[in-house]
Amino acid sequence: MEFVLWLVLGIVALIIIVFLSYFNRFAILGNRIDNSLSQINVQLKRRADLIPNLIETVKGYVKHEKSAIKAVTDARKALVSAKGIEEKVKADKKLESALKTIFAIAENYPNLKANENFLELQRELATTEDKVAYSRQYYNDSILSYNDLCKTFPGTFFAGIYGKKPKEYLQIAESEKKNVKVEF
Amino acid sequence: MEKYRRTDFRDQISRNKWKSVILMFVIFVVIIFLGYVISYAFDPIYFFVIMFFSVIISFSYILFSYYNSDKIALASVGAKKITRENHKQYYDVVEGLCIASGLPMPSLYVMPSSQINAFASGRNPEHSVVCVTEGTLEKLDKKELEGVIAHELGHIGSYDIRYMTLVAVMVGMIAIMSELFLRSFRFRSRSDDKKGSIFILIGIILAILAPIVVYFVQMAISRKREYVADASAVKFTRYPPGLIGALKKIKQEDQPDKRINKAIAPLFFTNPFGELASTHPPIEKRIAILEKM
Repeated sequence: MEFVLWLVLGIVALIIIVFLSYFNRFAILGNRIDNSLSQINVQLKRRADLIPNLIETVKGYVKHEKSAIKAVTDARKALVSAKGIEEKVKADKKLESALKTIFAIAENYPNLKANENFLELQRELATTEDKVAYSRQYYNDSILSYNDLCKTFPGTFFAGIYGKKPKEYLQIAESEKKNVKVEF
Repeated sequence: MEKYRRTDFRDQISRNKWKSVILMFVIFVVIIFLGYVISYAFDPIYFFVIMFFSVIISFSYILFSYYNSDKIALASVGAKKITRENHKQYYDVVEGLCIASGLPMPSLYVMPSSQINAFASGRNPEHSVVCVTEGTLEKLDKKELEGVIAHELGHIGSYDIRYMTLVAVMVGMIAIMSELFLRSFRFRSRSDDKKGSIFILIGIILAILAPIVVYFVQMAISRKREYVADASAVKFTRYPPGLIGALKKIKQEDQPDKRINKAIAPLFFTNPFGELASTHPPIEKRIAILEKM
């Protein structure tokens, strides 16, 4: 009789442990998604912060390319005021292509190209773009692990109980993915 | 997405943690056994004194190696710590890949050697180090460097670093100690004691066996891990050609670095002594697997 009691207690304890561990798994993976999302925002903000410096430096050398410079400042404004991750990523893409024009123009100004400040900013912007790409990738990786847990057995059973649903990926076109480097 | 599904390190992590615990336990037993052998070889009167000290020594030895194995590995290759200011590209590459992998930023080191090579060490991702040679920074372009660093971060994420560094440091030191033991017989004259001579014999056998054991342990630990780390590198960079390029450059140069201590060879990106009797899988095979990704 006593043995049966212990057996039942043991099984109950085991079930509780399994439930708790799946609850934690969902919490950990959910947190990872939130963290990676904020990492994207950190990198996008860093990128936006570099732009005013770049414009100041470029302005000193390039007098006749007002529209190209304006395109960059506008794209930056759009990025800063963008709400939601999808919109931000879109604005960042615009900024990226505006910057490309600026760097292409810079090719015609040897003095600007030799300016150390400019070179440093160019390097920083390229690095930040890499980091933006990596943070988006990690965001999608985090969602992948989360969705795997939601969709595979026995995770799908617990997902139903805890009310967890698969999440949407951040769309990155393959061609866009390869365009992260500023090339001349 | 399908292609990069191998996201989870959890199995590897728990396997590496278990292996580390078992390794530490085995080392503990081996040191106590050595103490036992030594106490009989010298004089049974000192048995309890020697056993007492060997327990204390083995405990402190294991604790010391657990917390300092990365420093020992770094010191043995003469690595120097770098900052963001003096190695911008190296630093930025690691920072970017840490974002891609979700790992904390390791401490970064550079070691003097013209060979292209790198290793990672530490007891967990929060206390990890990455070290590359000067040659790596000179000869590899950014994408190739990313491949190499991502491979090392793969070792960090899977806790390979804990087990591999512990093996390198602990087993390496055991080999040194048994060598010392073997040498100490040259200064001893009392050999007519029968019991003593039996244990001297065991001691000698142990001392001869130790380096062979080291050799086998090192052979066993590395190969599979390298493939797995290559796969995680591709997962982090999403760009196999970077890592392939780095491996091809290493294959071309083929200049063994004899100064690197044998014990820590398995830690490296490719075997520092060249292709023969390798602790690593052959480079061609690694390239072939990467090209299929």
